[in-house]
Amino acid sequence: MTTDRTPPPGAPLTGPVAVSVQEVRKRYGDRQAVDGISLDVQRGEFFGLLGPNGAGKTTLIEIVEGLRQADSGTVEVLGERPWPRNTALLPRIGVQTQASAFFVRQTAREHLATVAGLYRKDAAAADRTLETVALTEQRDVLVENLSGGQRQRLAIASALVHDPELIFLDEPTAALDPQARRDLWEVLRALKGEGRTIVYTTHHLDEAEALCDRVAILVAGRIAALDSPHRLVAAAGAPARLLVPAGRIGVAQAAALDGVDRVSEQGGSLVLETAAPGRVLQAVDALTGLDGVMTRTATLEDVYLELTGHHHGPDAGRTPAHTTESPA
Amino acid sequence: MSAYTALTSAGYRAQVRDKATLFFTFAFPLLFLVVFGLIFSGQDVEESGRPYISYIAPGVMSWGVANAAVFGIAFTLMQWRRDDLLRLVRLTPTPLTTVLASRYVLALVVGVVQAAVFIAVAMLPGFGLALDGRWPLVLPALVAGITAFMAIGVIVGNFAHTPEAVAAIANCLMVPMAFLSGSFLPLDMMPGWLRSVSRVLPLRYLNDAATGALTGSGSLATIGIGCAALCGFALLFGGIGLKTFRWSNQS
Repeated sequence: MTTDRTPPPGAPLTGPVAVSVQEVRKRYGDRQAVDGISLDVQRGEFFGLLGPNGAGKTTLIEIVEGLRQADSGTVEVLGERPWPRNTALLPRIGVQTQASAFFVRQTAREHLATVAGLYRKDAAAADRTLETVALTEQRDVLVENLSGGQRQRLAIASALVHDPELIFLDEPTAALDPQARRDLWEVLRALKGEGRTIVYTTHHLDEAEALCDRVAILVAGRIAALDSPHRLVAAAGAPARLLVPAGRIGVAQAAALDGVDRVSEQGGSLVLETAAPGRVLQAVDALTGLDGVMTRTATLEDVYLELTGHHHGPDAGRTPAHTTESPA
Repeated sequence: MSAYTALTSAGYRAQVRDKATLFFTFAFPLLFLVVFGLIFSGQDVEESGRPYISYIAPGVMSWGVANAAVFGIAFTLMQWRRDDLLRLVRLTPTPLTTVLASRYVLALVVGVVQAAVFIAVAMLPGFGLALDGRWPLVLPALVAGITAFMAIGVIVGNFAHTPEAVAAIANCLMVPMAFLSGSFLPLDMMPGWLRSVSRVLPLRYLNDAATGALTGSGSLATIGIGCAALCGFALLFGGIGLKTFRWSNQS
């Protein structure tokens, strides 16, 4: 596998490494949950871990957090070994907990102040963090009475209260409404702006594309792809689509344009698939003008579905890893 | 703020805000005192000629304190593990001993308050418990007893995954033990072999020490032996509790 070893030319791995995972394996019974994963996360990087449920994301993250022991391979986090429980390392990392992990019969503030105390921080740290995740108004509400989204934000706050250098978030936007989700994006971007490293899992691929410097797509315990979202999309070679309002140009006329690979009619538009959208746009412009013409480029979701779509069989783990990178 | 202070204050708030557990901890043993007090009102135990209340009051008190110590920590550990709260603690630099120390202090305070309320009620005219001059000796017995029973609770909490399992296991342990140790019925009324069996039960020693301290029956040595035996049980069960402790239900 070359994907994770050769730095992509566009984003050289130069800075200090926050997380280094080498050839890590973990087996549960007869299921190889993590099957030889190697990857590095740089300090200050926003790193996304994607993949279908059961691909090994959670197991891998729990090994990195020091909650599980790998069967083989080495893991270093901020220059330290996370296993066995490393109390020198733990204050430097923050982990989003389950939205159930609250001290019972406490208010949001009391819960967070207790967590702060476990890190030997004062209650002021709790107040600051409540502000960060926009829960200041709910500070005196008992955790049992918080809404799903509020519980989620309080769980994220538990990962931030002690000012960690490296933050692990597990589907942080899963239970949030669209506005709260966008608000959280701003929080995450601000954390990255402060130089913190963020490793996170998500099923929202648009979000990964918007936030992550690099993503790893895990399939059946292995890395199927690892690169920046932009380069993954570009390397996948998925065609761009131009949507021209129907009736503007004929199907045959469109198909004859230089660079157009396929033409179809969909929902009142003529859809032109092309690998050279610039050239085709120029041609369309010359013919009818670009009023009402829309372009749809391939997204990370297309790449993801392409990589994960064929791997549902029991032999999925044996499939050679998909290399998406151009040769360096 | 230290981790110990944070955990202890959170535990204290959780305790006083939980009305059901407050009732179970403080009022439930009193209910037993009332029931047994009514049944044996004004009677003496034939075998010894001492009034029932001098058996039943220290016995029910010991059972109530022991029961609360077992249930309190067992429920907490089960719930913290189930809700992934132990995982949260595991990810902080706070050592397990700090977590247990904060729960231990809470258990001691609950137990001593329980005992004080219970003794005060038992001394009311209707029940008529007469305190002996050496009653302060009940304090070391309570501390040793709470330690031993909290250690048992840790073991229960390590193995039980649900509230139902905690209740089932803890009741199976504590109810028969209460009868066999003479908490509800005077041991002097039981056959000799049962009295011998009771020697392996920690509650027997808490009953002996508490009865000796509160009513002045038996010698000072009984109190000493009771406390020593409880410390032995505390070490044994504490060791097993730490050995079987789990941060999470998986792995």
